[in-house]
Amino acid sequence: MLQLAGLFAFIGLTSFGGGITAYIRRLVVTQKRWLTDEEFLPGLGLVQLLPGANVVGLSVYIGNHLKGPLGSVVALGSLLICPFISTCALGFLYFHAGKTADTRALLAGITAVACGLMASMVFEAGEKAIKGAMDIFLIILTFALVRGTPSFELFDHRIPTLPHLSVPIVILIVAPLAIWWHRPRPSKGLSSTDSGAS
Amino acid sequence: MNTTLLQVAILFATLSLSAFGGGKVVLPTMHHDAVQVRPDYPANNHQWMDDEDFVNLFSISMAAPGPSMMVVTLVGLKACFPYGTAIALLGALVATLAMFVPSSFLVYFAGNWWDHWKDSPWRHSVMDAIMPISTGLILAATWIISKTSIHTIPTAIMGVIALCLMLFTKINPVLMMAVAGVISWAFLR
Repeated sequence: MLQLAGLFAFIGLTSFGGGITAYIRRLVVTQKRWLTDEEFLPGLGLVQLLPGANVVGLSVYIGNHLKGPLGSVVALGSLLICPFISTCALGFLYFHAGKTADTRALLAGITAVACGLMASMVFEAGEKAIKGAMDIFLIILTFALVRGTPSFELFDHRIPTLPHLSVPIVILIVAPLAIWWHRPRPSKGLSSTDSGAS
Repeated sequence: MNTTLLQVAILFATLSLSAFGGGKVVLPTMHHDAVQVRPDYPANNHQWMDDEDFVNLFSISMAAPGPSMMVVTLVGLKACFPYGTAIALLGALVATLAMFVPSSFLVYFAGNWWDHWKDSPWRHSVMDAIMPISTGLILAATWIISKTSIHTIPTAIMGVIALCLMLFTKINPVLMMAVAGVISWAFLR
């Protein structure tokens, strides 16, 4: 149990900016041999499907797998405790330093890279997501609903301005459409993964 | 104070259960609710900070260790900052727990019946359906953050360079942030 706490505290401290599921797999499956790939990969699929950060979900899944409910709590707690402390410290530092020319310039550079990082995630996610024209439409629809749209003319009808819709509401609107489109279609094979352009 | 804590808890607990594709996808709603952006729609505008603060807190959380969504901790911290250090820390704790605990419960309970679905074709359907939605949400988050933060040509160029380096090399993003921060501090002050 102590090892579990130690490992996830280590993961919490050494993980930056997300995208570290491969790193966790190497630690837990390859090095420590606590789980086999057959146990790890379904968990990864599960946390990718469910809401929440993948790292957080994986810590709960692995903790539960190894030590039951208490293991989940220990893994999640030790994952978050160090980042929580360091993040709060940085936050206070920022609030006390205030928005001076120095902090503004420093953070402008960091933010530019953060934007680039976010944009690269769009490309990575898009590569996996786009299997046909409908997927592109779903991406644009989701984007437009979250962003809100300005008013425009369509066939002599005035389409009113659409305000920002909160993410939960957008998911409730788009998800049924997306699941219906990707529903299992026996004529095209076992699952919809086989359908559509690749 | 209690109202603010409650607002923080409700906002992040809701977002926790809608963060399909990782915490970053709920950034647009977090931004909308935390920053005063729409005076005509005040119900969910808490006015905890301005645009610049939000973007800066996001950048700090990306550069700091931890899961990508530690920005919720900073938003909670900032929301309760006017009430003193102790309350601010409480706000940060409430925000963090509200963001990470509900989704964790979901993983815990779903793990038990997940295996029953192993052979169901619907499992693939749902996964295929969620991918484009996640992509659209990340796109919206990227758009919001970039729109609020990138105002000058040099920062735009830095962002594009960072994107290219990210896509085509394996340089650590935190290293890039450090270098960009120093460059920006040295030349753009």
